[in-house]
Amino acid sequence: MKTLKPMNQKADLLDDAIAQGQAEDVFLMSSVVGCTTTTDPGWEVDAFGGVSGLCQPMEADLYGCTDPCWWPAQTADSLNTHPKWTAGADAAEQDWRKLQAVFPES
Amino acid sequence: MKHRIPWSALSAAVLLTGVAGAAPVDGRQVLTSTCAACHTPGADGKQPRISDIRKTPEGWDMTIARMQVWHGVQISAEERRALVKYLADTQGLAPSETAAFRQGLERRPNVADHPPNDNLAQMCARCHSFARVGLQRRDEGEWRKLVNTHLGQFPSIEYSLYGRDRDWFRIASTETAAELGKLFPLQTEAWTTWHAHAPIDPSGRWRIAGERPGSGRYSGVLTVQKAAAPDTYAARYEIEYADGRTLTGESQALVYTGYEWREQGRLGDDAIRSVYALSEDGNGLSGRWFVKDADERGGELHGTRIVDGRAGIVAVEPPFVRAGDTVEVTVAGFGLAGTPTLPAGVQLVGAAAGGPERLTLKLKVDAGAADGWHPLKLGAAEARLGVYHKIDRVQVEPAYAVARVGGDGGPMPVVPAQFQAIAWLDGADGKPGTDDDVRLGSVPASWRHENHGEAAKDMQDAQFAGRFAEAGLFQPGPAGLNPQRRFHTNNTGDLTVTATVQDGAQTLEGQAQLMVTVQRWNNPPIK
Repeated sequence: MKTLKPMNQKADLLDDAIAQGQAEDVFLMSSVVGCTTTTDPGWEVDAFGGVSGLCQPMEADLYGCTDPCWWPAQTADSLNTHPKWTAGADAAEQDWRKLQAVFPES
Repeated sequence: MKHRIPWSALSAAVLLTGVAGAAPVDGRQVLTSTCAACHTPGADGKQPRISDIRKTPEGWDMTIARMQVWHGVQISAEERRALVKYLADTQGLAPSETAAFRQGLERRPNVADHPPNDNLAQMCARCHSFARVGLQRRDEGEWRKLVNTHLGQFPSIEYSLYGRDRDWFRIASTETAAELGKLFPLQTEAWTTWHAHAPIDPSGRWRIAGERPGSGRYSGVLTVQKAAAPDTYAARYEIEYADGRTLTGESQALVYTGYEWREQGRLGDDAIRSVYALSEDGNGLSGRWFVKDADERGGELHGTRIVDGRAGIVAVEPPFVRAGDTVEVTVAGFGLAGTPTLPAGVQLVGAAAGGPERLTLKLKVDAGAADGWHPLKLGAAEARLGVYHKIDRVQVEPAYAVARVGGDGGPMPVVPAQFQAIAWLDGADGKPGTDDDVRLGSVPASWRHENHGEAAKDMQDAQFAGRFAEAGLFQPGPAGLNPQRRFHTNNTGDLTVTATVQDGAQTLEGQAQLMVTVQRWNNPPIK
């Protein structure tokens, strides 16, 4: 974190926690199958090993994850793989029930 | 024993994930027509990419699904299933090649992933399981193409954690590709040998046993009869749980790659799927069955083929007994006969009752009998019986679990977490966590959950994230925003789960951590 500066309170907290050795940047590495182990901020679990540091409610930032293909193994990657995933669901906060599973069963 | 199984329906091929249907489709034909439109064979007859890869049935199915989603390949469900069968048979993995990664195929929930080193954990397993990698075989050049595919399809791979902080592409396309090529190469002696092996025919009767967490241990009989289509079978389950509940079920199975048993049918009220491996000698079966569309719920299973003139034991119930007690123990197996050979300090009271597949033994366990697992023999059949004086500690499994909110009108169902309370002995040294500790097995418990840590307490996670619905099964709350929570936060939570076990006069507790988190929409058979 020598060249990156935190721009908001949460980033400040994270920066402090890393400096003090309180945040494990790969909390779930080698852990539960099916969960991403990348915790910036993490899909299932945050950098502190909890859920309070996730983007919450998830719907508020869901398309911020799917549009840049941030969690393609967990959500739909709407950058390349499922570009129409959000069609008709413009506001995830209201429209999340329209979002369908993406793996096509045979 | 007569079974009324609709044999007429069994000419169908049972396939990986779909419903059985008549399958006159030739998988090889699909490969050389539909697939060849892009994967045009070269002068050597090889189809680029496809010919240089080996995968499991699930792996091939995911590949074909990817071609449908990414490239709009038009392929019917029957063609897809036939293609999976052909590719898994001709370019599959040998039993020894899948052994370390079967939990990925069996869809076991909340299991730990163990990449061989940090580099592979960061390169591969930071998004998906390492089992997904270990269940493929390619040479270095083909692994490199897979790196290229990843970067082309998921370009932010270079910007997320462990992408942006290194020369990701150089490392992935050189060091990682080379390492994977050495670890999981295309050509292996194991595959050459197995590919020449005749497919296992599981027809016959199998003595089976296992445990469904939350429901208990069971034993039973699996009857398998060959159906009309190649490598397809009709199966019938008759199982009895330790508490006396009985279940029957009928299913259809298809054996891929000569040993990979995949099945769909019903067991009791549940629609189930099964992923088993037949042992190389054809007389063993092991794996997991799970509820369709809720694969976190299911049971492990192991079985032994019943062979005339042989004897075997698949389960002893209860598997462990308390010193000083007199208890009835049921032995499930086949060819059971003769006087049992019992551990020191354990005596048979009266005569064994029952028949060759199920014997009940009334056992008196001396107060001085030694703690631990001891051999129990019936003729040539051997099992083990556990003896304990008192449970030293209770450990909750899994120690760390993830459940997911769902439902509430959305298409993604809740994903519950199933816990078990496991009784342990500290062993001769009396210290927990040492090599002589003895894991006895699951015991009944009562369950509760609380906030784990200050952040959870502050957000009152325990109030919103869900509740224990039945024996060790945590049912998460509904998906969506919750206006009753600060920031309208989802019903997520960081929880401590506690099991309370009564062991005679003592009360023991064990704890685990449960993360109730958000949905995932991408749920392929290998996560």
